[in-house]
Amino acid sequence: MASDSPEFRKKRGKSCPFTAAGWKGVDYKDIETLKRFITEQGKILPRRVTGVSAKFQRYLNNAIKRARFIGLLPFVGEEQ
Amino acid sequence: MTRKQLYEGMYILRSTLSEGARAKALERIEEGIKESGGEVHKVHDQGRKKLAYQMDGAKEGHYYLLFFSVPTSALDELWRDYHLNEDLIRFMTLRADEVKEEIKFHELPQ
Repeated sequence: MASDSPEFRKKRGKSCPFTAAGWKGVDYKDIETLKRFITEQGKILPRRVTGVSAKFQRYLNNAIKRARFIGLLPFVGEEQ
Repeated sequence: MTRKQLYEGMYILRSTLSEGARAKALERIEEGIKESGGEVHKVHDQGRKKLAYQMDGAKEGHYYLLFFSVPTSALDELWRDYHLNEDLIRFMTLRADEVKEEIKFHELPQ
């Protein structure tokens, strides 16, 4: 949780899990992580829901789309 | 002089191939890289995996991840060969920064 000091007040609420963990990027092979940012139908979750920063949402987008192309994640529908 | 670039390529080979045929298909890929003046640094056999959706009638595929470097101009030629390769269901080539000896990821805290 964000502190109550004035510098932090603006960033209240959601904070980016990637920035917090100090990640440098997102790999398309890391499907366990990617799965946390898609719905059961395989749609990419909006960052207003996940709180991911714009930068990492872009990395996520690219990674998810690569994973889809190479058959690691579905384009649509549930996994059996 | 052409510049060599490090790439990571993911290849999905047909799971219907016999052990020997699959080894041969992989060899063909490695051979192709070497012939175009490149070298293979690392081959990760990621095993049989279920595809998230059907590709050319295949529901499963055998995944390989290769780290290799080739002259940038040779990729076009390689891709043309890959598209003609019936054993290869799908491939993806990405520029890589380093050869990864292990495919491991950090866990993202909840």
